[in-house]
Amino acid sequence: MTKWGMVIDLNKCTGCGACVNACRIENNIPNVGEEEAQKGRALDWMQIVTEYEGEYPDVRVTHIPRPCFQCDNPPCTKVCPVHATFLNEEGLVGQVYYRCIGCRFCMAACPYSAKKFNYFEPDIPESYEGIRNPDVTRRMKGVVEKCSFCHHRLSLAKDLARFENRELREEDFQPACVESCPADAMTFGDLENPDHRVATLIHSSRAFRLDEELGTDPKVYYLKKEDK
Amino acid sequence: MDALRKDPDYTLYRPILESDRRFYWAIGFLGAVVVWAIVMYIRQLVYGLGVTGLNRTVTWGFYIINFVFFIGVSHAGTLISAILRLSQAEWRRPITRMAEVITAIVLAIGGLHPIIDLGRPDRVLNVFFYGRLQSPLLWDVTAISLYFTASTVYLYVPLIPDIALLRDHTTKFKKLYTWLSWGYVGTERQKHVLERAMSILMVVVIPVAVSVHTVISYIFSMTLQSGWHSTIFGPYFVTGAIFSGTATLLVVMIFFRKFYHLENYLKEIHFQYLSVLLLVFALLWGYFTFSEFLTGIYGNEPMEMRVIQFKFSGAYAPFFWMMVLLNFVIPVIILAFKKLKKIPGILVASFSVIIGMWLERLIIIVPSLSNPRLPVVSEPYIPSLTEWSLFAGGVAAFCMMFLLFSKVFPLISIWEIKDGRAEGLEAVKERLESYLPDTDVAGEGA
Amino acid sequence: MSEPKTNPSGLIFFLQIFSISLIWIMVVSVITWILNLISLSRYLHDAQNATLIISLVVLPIFTLLAGILTYVFIGIRKARPHD
Ligand code: SF4
Ligand code: SF4
Repeated sequence: MTKWGMVIDLNKCTGCGACVNACRIENNIPNVGEEEAQKGRALDWMQIVTEYEGEYPDVRVTHIPRPCFQCDNPPCTKVCPVHATFLNEEGLVGQVYYRCIGCRFCMAACPYSAKKFNYFEPDIPESYEGIRNPDVTRRMKGVVEKCSFCHHRLSLAKDLARFENRELREEDFQPACVESCPADAMTFGDLENPDHRVATLIHSSRAFRLDEELGTDPKVYYLKKEDK
Repeated sequence: MDALRKDPDYTLYRPILESDRRFYWAIGFLGAVVVWAIVMYIRQLVYGLGVTGLNRTVTWGFYIINFVFFIGVSHAGTLISAILRLSQAEWRRPITRMAEVITAIVLAIGGLHPIIDLGRPDRVLNVFFYGRLQSPLLWDVTAISLYFTASTVYLYVPLIPDIALLRDHTTKFKKLYTWLSWGYVGTERQKHVLERAMSILMVVVIPVAVSVHTVISYIFSMTLQSGWHSTIFGPYFVTGAIFSGTATLLVVMIFFRKFYHLENYLKEIHFQYLSVLLLVFALLWGYFTFSEFLTGIYGNEPMEMRVIQFKFSGAYAPFFWMMVLLNFVIPVIILAFKKLKKIPGILVASFSVIIGMWLERLIIIVPSLSNPRLPVVSEPYIPSLTEWSLFAGGVAAFCMMFLLFSKVFPLISIWEIKDGRAEGLEAVKERLESYLPDTDVAGEGA
Repeated sequence: MSEPKTNPSGLIFFLQIFSISLIWIMVVSVITWILNLISLSRYLHDAQNATLIISLVVLPIFTLLAGILTYVFIGIRKARPHD
């Protein structure tokens, strides 16, 4: 069985935000405008969560990039009344924009605040015309969206592999955020395939998952930040 | 008509036969509020939920609060009336009808709130085509529709004899009354049918009512959110529901007693008895709140503590302490002293409980959402004009429908009052004698 | 008293039949709905037990309610004095 997962090395992450921007472009994430963003309605799928430890001047800052964790026991899919969010057999948690009724129950149930709601009809300016990604569905107002691990890339990669008559390789399917990371902090692959780097990385002594005690079984691992 | 005027219970027919100017003013005002709310809702339909004050973390606001609140209020009615009927409390006679009407109307309004809250109300039928019964939201849909059916039937069946009375003695709405009374004239056999149906209904309605609010609490407690994930929520919500419902019933009774001059039917003693129920539930509510927070504080789990601190001393502290004051301190003080336990005092206590219970729903829903597990930025939730308007619209719709109901059907069960006069006294005497120890047995022994 | 008291005219008789059928239409649609959900959950292998248990609780109560109403309606109509 394939089980797509991600490992993010917090030692390497500088919090530059390249992944956030790459994700916006890749997934046609609408710009909500400054006023709406101030109200806390930005739609970014990838968010950088910053954790501060200690008192000034002795502060330790950790930047934690947070996509959807694609939990293996997702609390969000259990509560959806209409099968609009579900766990597929490759471990990806999908979101069906055309079926979602916008009850936002899944947002309330996700412990990681990974889901976003379209409060208005998304407005994609004319100037975006050329750079819009045709592979990603545009969302409509009143539905919930979230990181999909760039699922559209997986479909393409599979088609390509089939066309070339070979197995899917690790480098065939990489989400946009992983590709864009200048510090090389993210690794992506199949957690159950020993050829993929992630499969060994998650056994590192530094590996951990956020709020593991909830039993949600996230498939995004972090490598602990260590003082050098 | 003149025969009716001589009826000792003419007061009960009067609201149906005559309407004064106050009634039209009230309907006009309430109707305007409702229309305004509808306009605001249409605006929300056009622009999307962005017109509310909700944001990324606080995704549920006024609509869900009001949903829980209204469904809570609807609880008192049918439950109280069923329990009073089952326990054969004779003082129930003038109360049950109003209680049942409150239930049916508030339930209809409350049940609309989740739909108002939807981002895509146009797809609401997906719940029927692609529903998942695993989702607590579907439990709500089934439980509420079940409760609505049950409470409407439970309102309607005891109404039949009254409809028959109206059909025979008045000239208004003749067709409607003939339709709805099914040819009831009060023969022995017909009475027997009604009694059988009612005794089954009473037993069915109580567990259904309890299950509804339990299921509503499950929306919250089935998630892993701190402050929500609690086993106590089912009974806690049910208690709160009956608490707010009793208060609403008292307010409605006091108000319509004045409005329709029902002083002869709703006597001080009825309020005294019902306010005992209010007092008991205030104490129960205090007990549940105490245990809910004590376990959280004692466990001292960091996430749980963050939410609790947010309520105790953070941004929601004013609301929290206000809630404690309104829900516990004020009603307990008023209802514990005989001197204050008069109708004005009871009115104050009931109002304070209604507002307090609304605050309780706010305190349960928003703080948990404003404190997400990960330190993502969470903006404060400030309800917009749309949300306030729809809230006002909901309350106005309730008052309006209640008023309209009172113009078509009697607010106090006429036949039950007449029965009480005719048979109640005898029945109670017999019943009382059957409880008492037999005197002649003791006499024989001596 | 006037005639329509116990022996309803055509319109009212129709309305009464209509209301009884309405209740049963509701019950039947609820049953269809729940059966649809059960088959959906089986098809998608999604929480089948929960679905079955909930349906087993809900359906009898709905049917019982409709049954009571029908009993009341028919009972009252049958027991009215014949004139
Ligand atoms: S991170 Fe949240 S949205 Fe993503 S799968 Fe887990 S619970 Fe669902
Ligand atoms: S918002 Fe959409 S995806 Fe989320 S629970 Fe509701 S219907 Fe399902």
